[in-house]
Amino acid sequence: MSDDSVPLALPLLRLASGSSEVTTLYRELRKPLLRYLVCLGLSSDEAQDVVQDAFLSLQRHLASDATQENIRGWLFRVAHNQARNRQTSYHRRFSEPLDGEMDFLADDATPEQRVLEKEKFRRLAAAIRLLTESERECLLLRAGGLRYREIGEVLGMAVSTVGDTVERAIKKLAEKCNV
Amino acid sequence: MCDVQTKLIAWLDRELSPDEAADVDRHIRGCQECRGRLETYKKVSETFVVYCDAVVAGKTRHRVSRWVPVLASAVVAAVVMFLVFPQRRIEPPPVLAPMLAATSVPVPVPRAAEAAPRKTIRRRHAVPPVQKRAMKWQPTETAVQIAIPAEAMFPPGAMPKGMNFIAELSIAPDGSVQQVRLRQ
Repeated sequence: MSDDSVPLALPLLRLASGSSEVTTLYRELRKPLLRYLVCLGLSSDEAQDVVQDAFLSLQRHLASDATQENIRGWLFRVAHNQARNRQTSYHRRFSEPLDGEMDFLADDATPEQRVLEKEKFRRLAAAIRLLTESERECLLLRAGGLRYREIGEVLGMAVSTVGDTVERAIKKLAEKCNV
Repeated sequence: MCDVQTKLIAWLDRELSPDEAADVDRHIRGCQECRGRLETYKKVSETFVVYCDAVVAGKTRHRVSRWVPVLASAVVAAVVMFLVFPQRRIEPPPVLAPMLAATSVPVPVPRAAEAAPRKTIRRRHAVPPVQKRAMKWQPTETAVQIAIPAEAMFPPGAMPKGMNFIAELSIAPDGSVQQVRLRQ
């Protein structure tokens, strides 16, 4: 298994001084960050706050001529730590399963399609509840587009451990969901 | 069990080295079972992403819809207050008219009330009878009427012969003379 990650194709050297590049980065990573934080258990408002704080930290980080490699992983790591610091939300995510509103089907879906889709997501929600915390976090970061090396940096895990964890989690979901 | 089964997800995520990826490529071309497993893992991964997006969308929609009834209630309450509250303010004091009728004394309108234009206008409609009632005396049960003959008012011999009258006095409860009437 190789640990070479695809570098983020961004003009990082100019990022600190160019607001347009920051905006581009914000547009690219805001949604994955929000998805990760909300699925961790934060409320929508809390997630928005954390994302804003993370990008403010990014600006300070870049302005201080600090390392400018793997900005995507750096942002996720900052957001992850801030989510952990919000003790209420952090504890809530253990008691609150990763399931929620199921009203997300297309408007033109037939009643049969709606029933099947709802059943599929109901099974997936039940399977997600069986995952361990690290398995769930690995899958969430993977869904955000992070490579195994970046996931390892965020969660403080070795790359090989990330690979094993992702594989185990996916196989659990596949076994329980029958998608 | 195929040897590459433990590498299928890493292959899907493009996390394998070129040599390992080439081995898996060769294997899955000839292994229907592994192709089926890959398809399943791919579907699960895609479904997981869709599900996470739905969770985010659901929480956001829930946050907005939670405020809608609150805002609607606030607007309705504001409209009701605007419509009902002024009508209550212009109602005249219920004890004002009876008190004026009992005492028959004109009550001056407080200046503070005149300062507010809307109140002044409204009160003008409610109070007008007050001024007329104060000017027109109405005998009450508490008033006293006294009839005094002329002989009793003048010294003896002072009254011209052939003249006689009686003075009728109506006295209010506060002691003031309300009416004087002379009759033959």
